[in-house]
Amino acid sequence: MAASMLCRRTAALCRTLKGISCSKTVLSADSPRGLPPQSASYNPRPLRLNLHRPHIPDKDSEKTPEWQKSSRYDRKLFGRYGSASGIEPASLWPSRAELDRMTAEENEWQPPLEVMLKNVQAREEEETQRRLAKEKLIAANMAKMPKMVADWRREKRESKSKLKEEKSRRAKLLAEARERFGYALDPRSPKFLEMVAEIEKEEKKKKKLVKRRLKDEQLAAPPVAPPAASS
Amino acid sequence: MSFPKKPASKALGILQNLPRISLANLRPEPGAKKAETRRGRGQHGGNRSGRGHKGERQRGTRPRLGFVGGQTPFYLAIPKYGYNEGHSRRPQYQPLSLRRLQYLIDLGRVDPTHPVDLTQLVNARGVTVQPLKRDYGVQLVDEGADIFSAKINIEVQRASEGAVAAIERNGGVITTSYYDPISLGILIKPVPFFLRGQPIPKRMLPGEDMVRYYTDAESRGYLADPEKIQQARLALALKYGYTLPDISKDELYHMLSMRKDVRQIFFGLAPGWVVSMPEKKILKPTDEKLLKYYRS
Repeated sequence: MAASMLCRRTAALCRTLKGISCSKTVLSADSPRGLPPQSASYNPRPLRLNLHRPHIPDKDSEKTPEWQKSSRYDRKLFGRYGSASGIEPASLWPSRAELDRMTAEENEWQPPLEVMLKNVQAREEEETQRRLAKEKLIAANMAKMPKMVADWRREKRESKSKLKEEKSRRAKLLAEARERFGYALDPRSPKFLEMVAEIEKEEKKKKKLVKRRLKDEQLAAPPVAPPAASS
Repeated sequence: MSFPKKPASKALGILQNLPRISLANLRPEPGAKKAETRRGRGQHGGNRSGRGHKGERQRGTRPRLGFVGGQTPFYLAIPKYGYNEGHSRRPQYQPLSLRRLQYLIDLGRVDPTHPVDLTQLVNARGVTVQPLKRDYGVQLVDEGADIFSAKINIEVQRASEGAVAAIERNGGVITTSYYDPISLGILIKPVPFFLRGQPIPKRMLPGEDMVRYYTDAESRGYLADPEKIQQARLALALKYGYTLPDISKDELYHMLSMRKDVRQIFFGLAPGWVVSMPEKKILKPTDEKLLKYYRS
C-alpha cells in the first residue's frame, strides 16, 4: 500500500517533469552546430498591467496631486492601459511648439552627416598643415645648422686669437716701457700712455709712407702698360 | 518489497523503494561544511583570540591604511599623473567574446536564423549593458575565433578585426552601428519603454569623434559605402587567408542582408510610432510636420 502510494507520487513527479520539459521548446540531441531548430524562449516577466482595475486619477478634483495631471503621467497611463485610459492619442506626440523647439535644438546641436564630415576633415587638414609647417621649419633650420656651427666656431677662434693678440701687444708695450724707463711701469700711468701714443704715431707715419709708395707704384705701372700696348 | 526487476530501471526501482526525503535523511557531503572559528572559546579560539601578543595588533589601535610610520607614504610620494583623468567621460563597450557567442548559439539562447541585435543578446542574458555607466554598447572580441562556426547577421557597436574576419569567414555579416545613450536605453529594455507611452525617437548620429569610425569600411560601419565594404571584405579575406563565401547564393541571403536604417532603433518599427502594449496596436502619426521630423 505504501509502495503503491510511493509509485503514484513518483509517477506524478515524472509526469510533471516531462510536462515542464515539453513546455520549453525541444532541442534535438544531435542538432548540427550553428543551426539549432528553435531557440529556447526566455519566459518574460509578467507585465502586471492591472487592466481589470485601472487606477486613472480624476483630472478635475483638487485631491489628485499635480504630478498625476501632467502630460508625462498621461503618456504613462496610455502606455499602461491603452485606450481604456481615456487619453487622447494625439496628445502623445509633441505639439507644434514643442516640435519647433526640438527641430531648432537638433539643427543647432546635431548637424547632418555631411557637415560633420566636413568639419572633421577641415580639422584634420589643419592638423596636418600645422604639422607639416613645423617639420618644414625644423628641416630648414637643421639645414642651416652646419653653416651656423662653422660660423660660431670661427667666431670663437677669432675672438680667442684677438684676445691672444691683445695680450701679446700689451706685453710688448710693457716690455718696451720697461726698456725705455728701466723699471716696471704701471700701464695706467700717464708716462705709459704718452709712450703708447708716440709709438702709435710712428706706426701711422710708417703706414702712410707704405701707402704712398704703393700708390706711386700703381701710378707708375698703368702709364707704362698702355703706352706699351698702344705702341 | 518483492517487485519484479525490470531490465533497465534499477534507478527508478531505488527511487520508488527509498523513503521520502526529509531533513532527517539529508546530510552534507563530508568536507563541504567547515565549522567556523568562534573566537574567545576553548583552547584554540580563546586566550588571545587570534590577535597576537600585546602592541597595536592586539589592542586594535593600528594606524590608518597607507600610514608608514611617519615617512611620506607611497601614495603621497608618487606624483600625480592624469591616467584616469576624464575617465567618467570615456565611452565604454561591454566585451562579448566569440566563444560566448558560440556558446549562446549552441544553447539556443540566440537565434541565428534572425538578425542578432543588442536586444536579442540582452534578452538571451548574454551581455549586461548599463547605459548609465557610460556604456555605449557591446564590442566583439576575437577570443574564441578559432572555434567560432556560426553564420549570423550581427550588429554590434565595435568589433576587432579578428572578430570581423571570423564572422565573415563563416559566411556571416557584421555591422557596427552607433546608438546614442537614450536609444541604447530603449534598445536594451524595449518593453518598459513601450509602457511609457512615448513615440519611438529617432537614433542620433555619432559625434565628431566617432563619425570617422562609423564611416569606415574597415570597421564595417553602418554609415560606410556598401561597395567599399565589399572591397574591405575581400581585402580582409586575403589578409587572414580564407576564401570569402558568396552570401548572395545563400538561402538566408534575405535575412543576412537585413540592416537597420540610420535613424531606426528596432527592426520593423519606425521612429514616431507609438506601441500600445495592452491592446497590441501600433499608432502612427499623420501630421505632415511630425512625419517630416521623424523621417529626417
